Amino acid sequence: MAGRVVAVVGWHAQAYRRMWFGTMTVTFLNPIFFLLAMGVMLGTLVDRSNPDLDGLSYLEFVAPALLATTAMQTAASVTTFPVRAGLKWWRTYHAVVATPVRVHELVTGVVAWAGVRVGVAVTVFALVAAVAGAFVSPLAVLAPFAALLCGLAFAAVIAALSAWMKSDQYLAATYRFGLVPLFLFSGTFFPISQLPAWLEPLAWATPLWHGVELCRDLATGDVAAGATALHVGYLVVLVLVGLAIAVRGCGRELER
Amino acid sequence: MIEAQGLTKRYDEVVAVDGIDFAVERGETFGFLGPNGAGKSSTMRMIGTVSPVSGGTLRVLGRDPQADGPAIRQRLGVVPQEDNLDLELNVGENLQVYGRFFGLPRDVIARRTSELLDFVQLADRRDAKVDSLSGGMKRRLTIARALVATPELLLLDEPTTGLDPQARHALWDRLYRLKQEGVTLVLTTHYMDEAEQLCDRLVIMDRAKIVAEGSPRELIDRHVEREMVELRFGTQNGVPPLGDLGDHVEVLQDRIVIGAADGDAVVDAVHARGLRPDTVLVRRATLEDVFLRLTGRTLVD
Repeated sequence: MAGRVVAVVGWHAQAYRRMWFGTMTVTFLNPIFFLLAMGVMLGTLVDRSNPDLDGLSYLEFVAPALLATTAMQTAASVTTFPVRAGLKWWRTYHAVVATPVRVHELVTGVVAWAGVRVGVAVTVFALVAAVAGAFVSPLAVLAPFAALLCGLAFAAVIAALSAWMKSDQYLAATYRFGLVPLFLFSGTFFPISQLPAWLEPLAWATPLWHGVELCRDLATGDVAAGATALHVGYLVVLVLVGLAIAVRGCGRELER
Repeated sequence: MIEAQGLTKRYDEVVAVDGIDFAVERGETFGFLGPNGAGKSSTMRMIGTVSPVSGGTLRVLGRDPQADGPAIRQRLGVVPQEDNLDLELNVGENLQVYGRFFGLPRDVIARRTSELLDFVQLADRRDAKVDSLSGGMKRRLTIARALVATPELLLLDEPTTGLDPQARHALWDRLYRLKQEGVTLVLTTHYMDEAEQLCDRLVIMDRAKIVAEGSPRELIDRHVEREMVELRFGTQNGVPPLGDLGDHVEVLQDRIVIGAADGDAVVDAVHARGLRPDTVLVRRATLEDVFLRLTGRTLVD
């Protein structure tokens, strides 16, 4: 079992060796651009004494959130188009399940590979953010792990969406109506307390908010056991549920 | 190697395979022939353990596909109808990565990769991009990939569809070599010459059922006459009634096909009636005649 999951991860790593350069902008540069534009530049316009910021500078407020969004974006880049290609366009997943590898091992391997990519991306981003002075607490060393968990949750859920979507057009919809609104409204650039009261509960339900909160609590040292357990529990459940649904969806396609 | 009894595959309302029985022995080359939609690929996918059986029993390599899928697939090579090579990997990497899925150690994979690339005559393309290969080369690479874990049973779903004659013959040579090495081959095709060249035994499928079974020679002897006479008359003249001349007469739009033990005698009889067909062809009956006789001449799709 484990060996076959590792083989699936190794397959992706082998392919990535030839295309890593092309993914550099999305994986590393874009998050750093956001950090500079929002955290540093826009941040100069933000009044630090605003009570919603809890005494943080805007850079300190936004950087941990960008750590979580980086995880989300990287996870999506591994589990949107590549999953559709494996199932439908290039049908490489069909070749994989003709070997002893089972569908759940394939899907677990794909999500694990997303985890590898997320891990590298958030580590690099965290180092840059640390150099920029965006983290105030030593607990920030744990923030990349929180971001990794957030990335795994997104990888599993988006893989499930990709496996079940009826047409490729839903890929664009996933970005436009899913990831972009989450990116903007999950407490990333402003606290969700500023949302209209009826929208706030919706934000609590979104996975990115939990990832953002987890990273921010660690980066600022404002960790409460109950809230942390809630965020971690929510994201772990998403990983497991997403995996289960993705396995069902891929199985429907691969084992008809 | 494979035993099926009452094997059935249903997709919602459609019955793709309707209670077929067959058995494949070790070392033989076994073919599924049939028009498109006859149920060949569904049968292959069930043998390959990637499609659950809807009814009947199936044993592959003595095991139950439902319970022992991975163990069966460990000893199986699959060449699918559509190439599904990884375009992001080069030729050699496609084999190496595939070997890992079978849990082969690195040194074994390295040795098999070299051997197989020699075998399918792609050794000089080892570092090439898959996209740069011709259709025939891609097929050969797909076959090499299927052989990476030295399977006892190789499943080939329409292995030469879409290839030019040179590429088809090159492929047949490779498959013949495998057969000589003792690999059991199971293939689907709608090329009769391919079936005649390669198959020891075959079944003809039509509308989800098996309609005939035997060696190519047996099927020809059993279902059609020894020779076929094809007469073509000009469209405007119509086809004159010649129903009494052979053992089996099929009248088509502007053509008549007469099956008889002695084709030349039929031609003489036609001339004796003062008829002058535009073209006259006397030939030995082939599997294609069997196929058309059993599955009909109507287009299926």
